[in-house]
Amino acid sequence: MATRLSSLERSERRLGIALLAPAFALLSGVVLYPIYNLIRMSFSENKLTEPWLAKPWIGFENYAKAMGDERLWEATWHTLLYVIVTVPGAVALGLGLALLANQPFRVKWPVRLGLLLPWALPLVFAGLIFRWFFEYQQGLVNNALIWIGLPPVNWLTQEGPAFFAICVAIIWKTSSFAALVLLAGLQTIPKSLYEAAEVDGASKWQQFWEITLPMLKPAIIVALIFRTITAIQTFDIPKAMTDGGPGNATETLAMYIHKTTIDSLDFGYGSTLAVLMFVASAILTSIYLRHTRRDPSAGRH
Amino acid sequence: MKKRIFLSLSASFVLGLAMSVSTASISVAQTTLRIFTGGQQRPDVMRKIADDYEKRTPGVKIEVEVGGATSEQQQQYLNTVLASKDSALDVILIDVIRPAQWAAAQWAEPLDAFLGADKDKIMARYLPAYREANIVGGKVIALPYFADAQFLYYRKDLLEKHGVQPPRTWAELQAGAEKVMKAEGNPNLSGFQTAGAPIEGTVCTYLVPMWGAGGALTNAQGQLALNTAEARRPFQLWADMKAANVTPPNLAEIPTDRIRQNFQAGNLLFAMNWGYVWQRTQNDADSLIKDKVGVVPLPGFTADRAATCIGGWQLAVSAFSKNKKAAFDFAMYLSSPEVAKAQAIAASHLPVFPEIYSDPDVLKANPWFAQALPVVQTARSRPVSPAYPRVSEVIRTNMNAFLAGAKTADAALADMTRDLSQVIR
Amino acid sequence: MMKFPSAKKMTLIAGAVVAINGFFPALWILFTSLKTESELMRLPITIWPAAPTLGNYTRVFVDQPIFLFMWNSFVVAVLSTVLCVTVSALAAYALVRLRIPAPNVILSVLLAVAMFPLISLMVPLFSVMRDLQLLNTWWALVFPYAVLSMPVCTLVLISFFQDIPRDLENAAMIDGCSRIGALWHVVIPLTAPGVFTAGILAFVNAWDEFLLALTLAPRVASRTLPVGITLYQGEFSFPWPIISAALIIAIVPICIIIAVFQERVVGGLTSGGVKG
Repeated sequence: MATRLSSLERSERRLGIALLAPAFALLSGVVLYPIYNLIRMSFSENKLTEPWLAKPWIGFENYAKAMGDERLWEATWHTLLYVIVTVPGAVALGLGLALLANQPFRVKWPVRLGLLLPWALPLVFAGLIFRWFFEYQQGLVNNALIWIGLPPVNWLTQEGPAFFAICVAIIWKTSSFAALVLLAGLQTIPKSLYEAAEVDGASKWQQFWEITLPMLKPAIIVALIFRTITAIQTFDIPKAMTDGGPGNATETLAMYIHKTTIDSLDFGYGSTLAVLMFVASAILTSIYLRHTRRDPSAGRH
Repeated sequence: MKKRIFLSLSASFVLGLAMSVSTASISVAQTTLRIFTGGQQRPDVMRKIADDYEKRTPGVKIEVEVGGATSEQQQQYLNTVLASKDSALDVILIDVIRPAQWAAAQWAEPLDAFLGADKDKIMARYLPAYREANIVGGKVIALPYFADAQFLYYRKDLLEKHGVQPPRTWAELQAGAEKVMKAEGNPNLSGFQTAGAPIEGTVCTYLVPMWGAGGALTNAQGQLALNTAEARRPFQLWADMKAANVTPPNLAEIPTDRIRQNFQAGNLLFAMNWGYVWQRTQNDADSLIKDKVGVVPLPGFTADRAATCIGGWQLAVSAFSKNKKAAFDFAMYLSSPEVAKAQAIAASHLPVFPEIYSDPDVLKANPWFAQALPVVQTARSRPVSPAYPRVSEVIRTNMNAFLAGAKTADAALADMTRDLSQVIR
Repeated sequence: MMKFPSAKKMTLIAGAVVAINGFFPALWILFTSLKTESELMRLPITIWPAAPTLGNYTRVFVDQPIFLFMWNSFVVAVLSTVLCVTVSALAAYALVRLRIPAPNVILSVLLAVAMFPLISLMVPLFSVMRDLQLLNTWWALVFPYAVLSMPVCTLVLISFFQDIPRDLENAAMIDGCSRIGALWHVVIPLTAPGVFTAGILAFVNAWDEFLLALTLAPRVASRTLPVGITLYQGEFSFPWPIISAALIIAIVPICIIIAVFQERVVGGLTSGGVKG
């Protein structure tokens, strides 16, 4: 119906485009070409270990190979498991931490720091620290088990326990990110809402369900989307803790891509795997976005 | 007018002379070579050697670029740099398992043309394993820088105390370990450890006993030969050791350095590990076993048939270097007996020339080198293949799964055969 | 009513839970950094260092120019954070308030960038930086880091900007502010927790990043802390005590920055904001 825009609307649109320009300039400068290159490479045979086989264009051969690649499906399944367990896990723990951290402390920084430290620890080292915690002989976990009279567990060399240990590490490390986003959300909820609810005689529990959660929904969605995207790319922590072992039992998609491109130097197939992983994340995130489908300009109310 | 021209001419002449004097060193130094080394191949020693080289070859300046500490981190960086054909690096230090891959990827400049007619004579001076590791398809891909191999370290004090001889066979090792462990009664003392985590070292955990049994990954025709009895021996050996509690229940999570740490903390009797362990046990301030360590070749299944994996680092000239000749000259210098001796003294790096092992200065700094020579002489290469990374991955993954108890020996061997047959023949 | 522990006590317990959850690995690192390697390997294990030593810290400073690495990390993180938050705030504002065609598509494109696995973009990214002659400079990291954090920052800021009533801006614009003026004087202060969060996210992302730093700026002069710390590692060896000491040194500046920021900046901004 609005075929003609008013002059105000037109100038707003121009300004809007101008404001978006820096973001897109940065994107095109840094990632557009690499991504183009990646997609192009996924249609080529490009093994640096056998350069004489190199073919610039083999169509969908790599993709066909991927469909029948048992290891790819295994890695996808492991990755999916990590997503299913660690995304809700991290956001739930993050919500708990954010609620706790939102209490009226007189000195705020120790709590804020406690919230942030897991995140401030470089990922690789967080993985290594948790590997140490779960180690058979020197690990804190097994020593605690022995202390309370239980037998030690071979955490990192059995499929189930290794998966559990990795999930604990991931949830610990990433709940911090969720908590930060959620805490910021909590802080913008007007206190007056709670005061009014208090007057109406609502219990704390009711206040949580009726005010906190609905008001927090946008922040929760941000946390969920980003946790999902990063969970699909899970790499450093299982790499540091088990390196995919025992066998390939804890290998994720990103680890498989890494091994294919960096260890085996098969850039063609590695790119194909990366594109497939991108498609998978796009599908998963679009499911989220569909559930929460809103025009960003529509506002929340 | 004339006078002025003369003046200005003479002035510029004097000025030019003065400048040429003050910049003599710069105007000659036209070539800057950049050598890439890992953080652990003693870049400080490399720097000193490079300083000497700069002094004796005016016109060449050396920059030492230090990469990540582990072979993997270095590869990560080098893959990116070389895959984009970057000319920033001239000489690159590479792991002994890489020359075939580098040759195939055409990242290393073949050195035959530079070596010229002396090629065979020059290559003949090196230890045989290193000569073979660096010649791929008849071409010299890299020059050896220093050697390494796996040894059997043992607690001299404990063996003496319980009257056990250093083992020459796996059976002796197991019996000795059981005897000492029983007599000591220390629940924290582990009998034997080798790498079991899914890392490169675990490839040797499979290959060493297989070689020791007289087997090999490929037969004389270069075909995969995993259907032999020898190919099964490693599984049997490690299963026996585990059943006898000589190896710990968590062997599958143990990486290379954890073995040294356990050994150095006094919690391990026999350790299968690389050359660096000796240095650390003797020199670390917090070592609990200084003077209590012995080192011998790794055992075999019979006393006369021991085997070990070679390690060590090689010098490749980048195919994208803009100064290949100068880079080759520098690599040649680094790969000389003179530098090997200097390295052995300053960094305890095992030399790639047999004669250096008996050099009195070297022996004074490293008395144990006398025992190291026979080991290094019989050390064997891991399979030479451009697809070595894949070969390594298949072996270590299956070995790790077996040690963890996630796969039976049959399943591990079957999977290994299936996956390796895709890359070897 | 039932007798609950007093509100003050509850608050204290809540704080303790958050702090302990966050601090326990840091404490483990701290204790480890005071042990010798042989004590670390001792069985049974010790929690508290039996004979505390500062030797590991000395090694950290002697073995590598760690202050240089820290400075590089700091500059790169600050520059990329400023760049990222500025660019993201402008984009988020345009998406929320200005009549952009197909905002959802634009947002999806932005998000898609975050979905490409970094490892597979490494080789082409290296070529881009080489062609721009930025390798081994801070800028080789500043730009990619800004892009890396842009999706999350934009999304966080969008979710906050949506909460600001249009009336507030309109009032400011009637008072003579331009759109940008309204963004700067009204929207940003009112969403300070969001902006702060976006900034912290971008800062820590940049401070932690390893793979790009290893590839795009590996030389000493531009090397960042995570790459620097791994250099204490050996080809085989992983000296936990020394690496722990280096990690403590790496974490402390972040802690100080957060503590200072938290009380002074955010505390001040929010006190007059929506919370009211």
